[in-house]
Amino acid sequence: MSLQTPRILPSHLNAFHPSSAGQRSTHTIRILGTVSSLRGDTATITCGNNGDVTLILKPDSHLQMGKMIEVVGKVADLEGGQGLGVRVLGTTDWGNPADSDYRTYEQVVEATHRFKSIFYDGE
Amino acid sequence: MDGGYNSYGGGGGGGFMSGETSSPSGGRSENRDNKTLRPVTVKQIADATQPYPEAPFLIDNAEVNHVLFVGQVRNISSQSTNITYKIDDGTGEIEVKKWVDSATRDSMDTDEKGPGDGKSEVVLNGYARVFGAIKTFSNKRYVGAHSVRPLSDLNELHAHLLESTAVHLFFTQGPPGGGGSGAGGNAAGGDAVMGGADDYSGAGPNKALMGVSPLARKIYNLLKSEAQDDAGMEMQHIASRLSLPTMDVARAGEELLNAGIIFTTMNEHTWAILEY
Repeated sequence: MSLQTPRILPSHLNAFHPSSAGQRSTHTIRILGTVSSLRGDTATITCGNNGDVTLILKPDSHLQMGKMIEVVGKVADLEGGQGLGVRVLGTTDWGNPADSDYRTYEQVVEATHRFKSIFYDGE
Repeated sequence: MDGGYNSYGGGGGGGFMSGETSSPSGGRSENRDNKTLRPVTVKQIADATQPYPEAPFLIDNAEVNHVLFVGQVRNISSQSTNITYKIDDGTGEIEVKKWVDSATRDSMDTDEKGPGDGKSEVVLNGYARVFGAIKTFSNKRYVGAHSVRPLSDLNELHAHLLESTAVHLFFTQGPPGGGGSGAGGNAAGGDAVMGGADDYSGAGPNKALMGVSPLARKIYNLLKSEAQDDAGMEMQHIASRLSLPTMDVARAGEELLNAGIIFTTMNEHTWAILEY
């Protein structure tokens, strides 16, 4: 089976965390958001009206403030018990957030998990 | 001279015809489905089943020939005869082969922009939209692409995923219709038809009905429920019963006629349901 990266929102982080997901085969996910802060080796993206997610960056990640990005990464614990974040494996820059409709993405996430048989092999 | 051209054309036509008729002979005779272009996810391609070797692929029990999908390009390898891409859409990964046709490339060079623009626009880790047919080669599934083009609008990606879901639901749960009751009504209608006819056409009319517009289904349901004589109903009458413009009713009626669900009786604007 090839690698599957289901699209999620911040509220799904828990379900895809390695410890809580039981026998789930993948903890690698995709998430979409606007870069809202950059702090060296971490960054924050804002996911529409669904809250923020902290990203643990790779040395070669080049993010720009205010851009809409799609992140492929693994759900991970943040240092110092600050909850869950995403360890970045790769990012795609989609440019100006105004050019894409975040509500469409929310619908995609909803469809992904509701009709998962065409999107990923669930537990 | 003339005869030479004619016989040449006839020969070409004959060859095409024989190719056409030999392909559906592999299985069921529903070759209307063979012309479909279906939006899918990569996982659906990987999960597609093939009842026997060389048979058309089935997704949700519906035959698919051409598929349309979007994904990120994970690898590009250019050979002299083809370019192979690895496409990952988050639901799986699949190889896509685009044959390099020297004739088309030459014409593209002259007709369009620069040389080789078609392939240089698709970049590694960028998104691409692929349109092609599912193929197998030594037990490995791949897509023989007619077109691979870059995708730059995120909304197109998301719209595609939603579209794939909608089509999946259409095949697994039936057409949306006017809410749950509409779909239920259709199913019931189909059952009645099936009960009336034996194995001759099975769910024929009901299945055909899945492919028509909601308005056409509305007309079908009216024709089915309305008491009428053998002559069926006149277009104007249907329009007034449904309070719809005659033009729309005419168009939807045309659709039902073409699908073989209704037939004309007294004149071309009077329709009755075709029941076996």
